[in-house]
Amino acid sequence: MSMVETGIPGLDELLSLNDGEGFPQNTTTLVYGPPKVGKSIFSYQFAYHGLDLKEPCLYITTDDGIKQLTQNMMDFGWFLQGFIDEELLYVIDSISSLSGVRVENTATYASSKINDPTDLMVKVGLGTRFVFKKSNEFRSVFDSLTTPFVFNPEPMVVRFLKTYLRRLKEAGATVLVNYTEGVASPGTERILKSIVDNVIMLDGSYMTFKSSYDLMGTAKYDITDQGIVLGEGEIL
Amino acid sequence: MIVRITSGITGFDELTVPGDDLGFALGGIPENTITLLYGPVGVGKSLFCHSFTYEGLSTDEPCLYLTTDQNFSTIYHNMEDLGFSLQEYMEGNMLQVIDASSNGEKMEDSPTHQSSHVKNPTDILVKVSRGINSVSQNNPRFRGVVDSITAILESNDEMLIMRVLKSYILRVKEAGGTAIITHTQGSADPRTEIIIKSMADNIIKVDGETLVIESMKGLGQKKAPYEITEEGLILGKEE
Repeated sequence: MSMVETGIPGLDELLSLNDGEGFPQNTTTLVYGPPKVGKSIFSYQFAYHGLDLKEPCLYITTDDGIKQLTQNMMDFGWFLQGFIDEELLYVIDSISSLSGVRVENTATYASSKINDPTDLMVKVGLGTRFVFKKSNEFRSVFDSLTTPFVFNPEPMVVRFLKTYLRRLKEAGATVLVNYTEGVASPGTERILKSIVDNVIMLDGSYMTFKSSYDLMGTAKYDITDQGIVLGEGEIL
Repeated sequence: MIVRITSGITGFDELTVPGDDLGFALGGIPENTITLLYGPVGVGKSLFCHSFTYEGLSTDEPCLYLTTDQNFSTIYHNMEDLGFSLQEYMEGNMLQVIDASSNGEKMEDSPTHQSSHVKNPTDILVKVSRGINSVSQNNPRFRGVVDSITAILESNDEMLIMRVLKSYILRVKEAGGTAIITHTQGSADPRTEIIIKSMADNIIKVDGETLVIESMKGLGQKKAPYEITEEGLILGKEE
């Protein structure tokens, strides 16, 4: 199995197998936990590290608009403009339209609406084709399911997610999806965890990783001005 | 580097100086973020907002203040008691108030004071959006206060209010503002409280004795005792 580096110091080493370090390539991972434990930061790091290795990324932002996303990453010293210019990063922004601002669509930026999963799926199709043409080894981030759950009925979000995961996996992507625990009903949460290959739980102090092939690891982590850094961990 | 604005609360900016800097960075509230301030009733949440507002006004940062529990005349007088005179700032269009409270005499509507009602979130959102446009034209570095979201949640479908709140947050951030939203802990559905926390950038909890910064951009957890005095909240040394 080939692996992709997450870019999270400590995590790649923790998950290292014979054939490489990092996440299993072309799998889907749900990152979940309570609010403010670093889920978005995790996805910034994952996307940025890939971009740094010239792996293209399809980034769907639903909690923060493009301006805020760029600013949040800049706070860690991760600058996106170069990758946008190189057309390595394709952003779908489904929330800026709610604030009443009009952001022009470009070759690598598409806006959508938070309460219109059908439109979002169309944009995902366009975006996937765009990054796929650059490389069939690409990353995709969906940050996060939290706001979609506030604006849409739960079954609709789940249906969207299933289609999204299938499409991206078929295209060859290594997929990350974020979710704030407790926002949807327990039944929906069970579905979310069952339709992905791997889950990562963050609780503010510990990160726990569980893969589809029953690799389970846990480690303490800190959020620093360089992003998430893992302490010593163990494979269970 | 994270820019922080002065809070106006005695001891707060000292508590929030980022640790690993060489003493150059200043503490305060990270600029262009949303802070959730929560805790039980009567522990100083409104006082915190008063000091935050006045600190902004006195440094030329306009403020958009949405009040739901206390009517604005009460706030006006309470702030006078703290030594914060608002008259000049209202005359200069620096302070804009949306009064959605339903108790006592309300002031007449004027360019800087508008009435609304907690049962009418659409009207609140329209007035708030207009207010954001107006104060941010004055200075994009403005402050916003929502004190509190609780009364609006009590009178409406909570998920509808979460959508209104998300819209408010996006507008404030897009325009460049920094806002505080207060909430009475435990008065809404647990799911709603998780959503509020996920929408905020910073989370501060107060319980009458201790102020806990549960989460703040660029900062670890912090904790300090505090007292409610005639000059507002005063924070003690970090615990």
